[in-house]
Amino acid sequence: MSKNDTAEREIIITRIFNAPRDLVFQAFTDPKHVDHWYGPRGFSTKTSDMDVRPGGKWNFVMRHEQYGVFKNRIVYREVKRPSRLEYTHDSGVDGDPSAFEVTVTFEEMSGKTKVTMHSVFPSAAELERVKGFGAVEGGKQTLERLAEWLAELE
Amino acid sequence: MNPGLDTTFSALSDPTRRAILARLAKGDATVLELAEPFSMSLPAVSKHLKVLERAGLIARGRDAQRRPCRLETGPLKEVAEFAERYREHWEASFDRLDGYLETMKKIQTKQPKKQAPKNRAIK
Repeated sequence: MSKNDTAEREIIITRIFNAPRDLVFQAFTDPKHVDHWYGPRGFSTKTSDMDVRPGGKWNFVMRHEQYGVFKNRIVYREVKRPSRLEYTHDSGVDGDPSAFEVTVTFEEMSGKTKVTMHSVFPSAAELERVKGFGAVEGGKQTLERLAEWLAELE
Repeated sequence: MNPGLDTTFSALSDPTRRAILARLAKGDATVLELAEPFSMSLPAVSKHLKVLERAGLIARGRDAQRRPCRLETGPLKEVAEFAERYREHWEASFDRLDGYLETMKKIQTKQPKKQAPKNRAIK
């Protein structure tokens, strides 16, 4: 298959922040800062340890009043300060089949910073698992948005 | 019927099939109409349609002559909802980060770098 064979398992999210790149990178990689913003709505994040270098790990839990506590682990594969992070995100269990691969890039844009999150999910099994996680009822999907999303996959 | 995400993903892994679905999201179409934008034979398009039909992503009309194709949103919804949820997670995090970066900027100005010269000119 072509290199596009992961296209249907990729999610790309981009945001421009009104802050210099060093600061944004620090917000992503400093245990002092990361708990203040990371996590889905309604969840609080608590870091137990964070070691941002190739092979290093970030262990944290995400807590929700209703849904409970979710263990998370990130293992960094590549760290290019302050422009790029590559890591595997799983539930803290070795050989977790539901692990997914993420690349985050930080681009300087005259004082602002463009962050691109590129996530590749390994299999449909992962989606089944993550579906339980967060358990937000979606269902607001209209056909138009669906078409947009499909176009994005091209 | 829900054939499961595996089947859905495998059906979605082909760009032609995704284009067919994107076209059907705008309205029902016959095989002929679907074949038009692609430089592809009718049997080739029919083959793609069979894969999509098996995955429950489309349904074909009963009319033996035209058999118009219709998008079935069930399986796609599951995939799209997952993507949507993941996106929501990051949108929520990024919204918070937006505000938190302002806090970080303030912390930084209060605590200038140790290396900074003390007699720095004030503009």
